[in-house]
Amino acid sequence: MKRIWAALVYLATGLLTAIASWLAIGVLLLSVVVLPLLPITAPLIRRIVDFDRQRLARYTGDAFPSPPPLDGPWLHRAQRVLADPDSRRDGMWLVTHALFGTLFGAVAIAVPGALVQQPFVPIIWWAVPGGFENSFGVHVDSWAKAFLSLPIAIVLTLIVTQLPRLADLDARWAKALLAPPRASLEKRLAEVVATRAAALQAHGAELRRIERNLHDGTQNKLVGVVMMLGIAERTLAQNPDGAVQALRRAQDAAGDALEELRNVVRSIHPPVLEDLGLDGAIQALAARCPVPCVLQADHLGRLPAAVEAAAYFAVAEALTNVAKHSGAQHAWVSLGIQADKLTVLVHDDGKGGADEQQGTGLEGIRGRVAALDGTASVSSPEGGPTVLTVVLPVGK
Amino acid sequence: MRIVIAEDDALLREGLTLLLRNEGLDVAAATDNPDDFLDAVAEHEPDIAVVDVRMPPTFTDEGLRAAVEARRRHPKLAVLVLSAWVEQSYAHELLAGTNGGVGYLLKERVGKVADFLESLHRVAAGGTALDPEVVSQLLVRRKADDALSALSPREREVLGLMAEGLSNAAIGERLVISAGAVHKHIGNVFLKLGLNSEDGSGDRRVQAVLAYLDH
Repeated sequence: MKRIWAALVYLATGLLTAIASWLAIGVLLLSVVVLPLLPITAPLIRRIVDFDRQRLARYTGDAFPSPPPLDGPWLHRAQRVLADPDSRRDGMWLVTHALFGTLFGAVAIAVPGALVQQPFVPIIWWAVPGGFENSFGVHVDSWAKAFLSLPIAIVLTLIVTQLPRLADLDARWAKALLAPPRASLEKRLAEVVATRAAALQAHGAELRRIERNLHDGTQNKLVGVVMMLGIAERTLAQNPDGAVQALRRAQDAAGDALEELRNVVRSIHPPVLEDLGLDGAIQALAARCPVPCVLQADHLGRLPAAVEAAAYFAVAEALTNVAKHSGAQHAWVSLGIQADKLTVLVHDDGKGGADEQQGTGLEGIRGRVAALDGTASVSSPEGGPTVLTVVLPVGK
Repeated sequence: MRIVIAEDDALLREGLTLLLRNEGLDVAAATDNPDDFLDAVAEHEPDIAVVDVRMPPTFTDEGLRAAVEARRRHPKLAVLVLSAWVEQSYAHELLAGTNGGVGYLLKERVGKVADFLESLHRVAAGGTALDPEVVSQLLVRRKADDALSALSPREREVLGLMAEGLSNAAIGERLVISAGAVHKHIGNVFLKLGLNSEDGSGDRRVQAVLAYLDH
């Protein structure tokens, strides 16, 4: 009974999407004629097909991930739609589903509907004098004809019990078209492998950076403390003034060591992120920037710590560069989340011509961002403006 | 005693210079990179060089390589290497084919000024000064080793302390054994390492330590 109900729901909602598919086909045909419409209609169609994927997932219990979204600039989208096998498969699904989905869906609704009517046929014959025309077009004017509803009900029941088979048939076909194709799975796997390798590399580089900061910074300072204390100890008897001087230097060195330790810790995960969240922390960065800087941020909520840290350091580095090299009068930072991606934009009205190769700052950002499966790019033509774009998946 | 220092960290370079000058030692030059260091060694012909392992440009082992190079150019130069951490391959590189006059200490040992000066003098005089950390690492590694496997645990312990640069009396004190017992252990070490007294080639103590390290 449960299976029949699930099949019924699956096929009936299928009828709805099949109708939507008819509309979509119409729009699609229109955009084939008016080609510039295609990049606009393709995401719309993707949305309808994605609804089918959800429907299929609910029925089969398997997951059917959506292909990579069709986003980006208009022209880029147009190229993608034409080249993309996912879009072609979407199209195929649309046409076949419009035909079979309508048929199957109609059966799934009409047959149980007719079945429910049958017990009422004799009652109505008894109640309505002169007979009536039933839903099969037969004029019911005798008890014999009225009780014909019994065998009809049996046949309809048999058909209803077969609905899961019909739904399975439909689902099998749907699976073939809506599941991610093998090639695309392999591509994704290769991407994941590469990203993981990059993540490990970035992680290793990060560990080396921390190790070096601790050894060459903090530890040296502490050695300085120990050394100055040693000098103080040795000179105390003959030269108390010299000893006091050495003690002061020991104190300074200890203070420096603490400062460096704080910096190292901050570079791992800035405490300000914990306290203020990403938008608050970046607001603080913007406020500290010597070039007047305006922040525009959506309400971000809490994001994964690594994503927050990467975004924070990207903005920090970019604003440092704005202040140092750009000669800009103004800078803008914007943070926004769309489709599970955090986009960070930093731009200025400076002279541009930023050299990507110069300095390791951007390289560091890129490594950190790539490790999180994100991208970082800089556009800086001579004469400006300079725009840093960082896109980070927030991993929902 | 004339000294040349190579240390890139300004605080430590100045501190070390101050410390040694306060003790009445002659710091001829304090340099912050390998090239200047080699020039200073050529110019001042010091008795001993005190060198930081990590130096520019890549901050890996440039200081150590500069020290090895300085000894190649000036075989009589004693070298005391300071490092922020123990890396025994460095000790090997430094000691390979030498005949004493080398030391390898953790930087913070400088703070115990009396001990540090003692190590400095010992190395300058052709002895060795290995950080206890280095020695303990070597001991761990040595366990399965051939030539030294003939040594009893006690003898190996004594040899380790010799490598640190301790005198017989100090070894006796550390292990709480009599001077006679120390002498006996050291005799056994020499015997087992094939360093007999007729061999006139320098200090057997240093030779034993080098045998201990030079694998």
